[in-house]
Amino acid sequence: MSTDIWVWIAALLTLGIFSFLYKDNPFYRFCEHLFVGITNGYAITFYWHRILVPSLINPVSRGEKLYLLIFAFIGALYFTRFIPRLSWLVRIPIAFVLGYGAGAAIPRTIEASIIEQTKATILQRSNFLNLFDGISSIIIFFGVIATIIYFFFSTERKGILKHLSYSGIIFIMLGFGASFGYTVMARISLLIGRLTFLLRDWLGIIK
Amino acid sequence: MVSRRIIYLILTLVILIPLLRPFKLKPLPMKPVEKLFYYINNIPKDKALLISVDYTPDTEAELHPMTIALLKHAFHKKIKVGVLTLTLLGLGLAEDALQVVLKEFNEKAKTREDSIIYGRDYVFLGWQTPPLVPLLGMGESITKVFPVDYYGNKTDTLPLLKEIKNYRDVGIVVSISGSAIPMWYVTYAQTTFGVKVGAGFTAVSAADYYPYLNSGQLTGLLAGMRGGAEYEELLEEHFGKTKRRKATEAMSAQTTAHIAIIILIIIGNIIYFYRKKK
Repeated sequence: MSTDIWVWIAALLTLGIFSFLYKDNPFYRFCEHLFVGITNGYAITFYWHRILVPSLINPVSRGEKLYLLIFAFIGALYFTRFIPRLSWLVRIPIAFVLGYGAGAAIPRTIEASIIEQTKATILQRSNFLNLFDGISSIIIFFGVIATIIYFFFSTERKGILKHLSYSGIIFIMLGFGASFGYTVMARISLLIGRLTFLLRDWLGIIK
Repeated sequence: MVSRRIIYLILTLVILIPLLRPFKLKPLPMKPVEKLFYYINNIPKDKALLISVDYTPDTEAELHPMTIALLKHAFHKKIKVGVLTLTLLGLGLAEDALQVVLKEFNEKAKTREDSIIYGRDYVFLGWQTPPLVPLLGMGESITKVFPVDYYGNKTDTLPLLKEIKNYRDVGIVVSISGSAIPMWYVTYAQTTFGVKVGAGFTAVSAADYYPYLNSGQLTGLLAGMRGGAEYEELLEEHFGKTKRRKATEAMSAQTTAHIAIIILIIIGNIIYFYRKKK
């Protein structure tokens, strides 16, 4: 069994979180609140020491890069949320963040997630270099078309549209099945990780 | 109605037993994992592997073995490594993975040449925020985005970063994450600068990433603990036995748990149809 106090603390907190599986209880809530508090405290400390001090406070206190004070002031307007009379000022930093974020994201997202994905769906000679890739490409092509048609609500589903949209449901269900299967794998992996910690690092039962 | 507590108990037992008495499983590396492995294996000497440790302790069990395996691979092949994180809580995990792998390699090293040395063989750039700054900024200059490294050294004094200046000098960026961060690398770093991107992620996100492998936007990928185990297997095939293989060790418990869940789903469906018929 471990003699390290930090391993004991981690083990007891793990058991505290697991106790929720039986039912909600004060020990679980204590562990949950402790986690939220520590995470926020860690983040605030890091933002202060790694971002604000070296990037703003140090240069400004040396009389360098004084223009940074303008951006610091704009950033500080986020705190006006706490003053109802001035809370509208929070829109200014949000506008900067949204404007910059949207400007950077929209063209690149269209390129990465729409144009490149559409290109990859189009059947080309290079898709048929071997039988498996060829069949996969046809299934992907058909699956994409059928799924898009399923979400095409502007016209009545009759004839070919009816059959394609029905096929779309099958592809969507297969997608959900794959996602749920992977989700099970992910959650089990996390449980294995915690049980391994308890058995190996804390209790020393397994090597 | 069966209490869900019974199901939790069954699952715990199904996982505990193989952890206490594991049976041997040999993971069969799949194509997406092989693609990443062989791409990294063939990175030219003048290019670096950039590992972005973008996960938090809640997904450590699934993702930490991947980081360790990638570091081992790079150090075996003497590939220059840059480690960074876009999530604050990734800092401690990245440092832990580095220490584990460095200990293993430097214990065996007999000369300075064999050792893995900070600044020469690897750098730990640390964390920078907001994420768009490192994602786009590293395309121009890594040292401008990270003026000091995790340990407080000035990055422009580190020999490795005199050679590896920006994405042009990076063979591949591998982002390991429990969230959408690998997609940020595809969207911003690859679309803008054309850098190759690989991804390691939790199994939950796997279905979302496969289309990007199909389109060639991701060079290779590691999906969940199984992906980590397959990479560990390839490492062992090429470089011989290494110390603990965390992901592979967990595979027997993973397998029994999956079988148990399949059985529970089948039983649940039989009961459902039986009751409906009644």
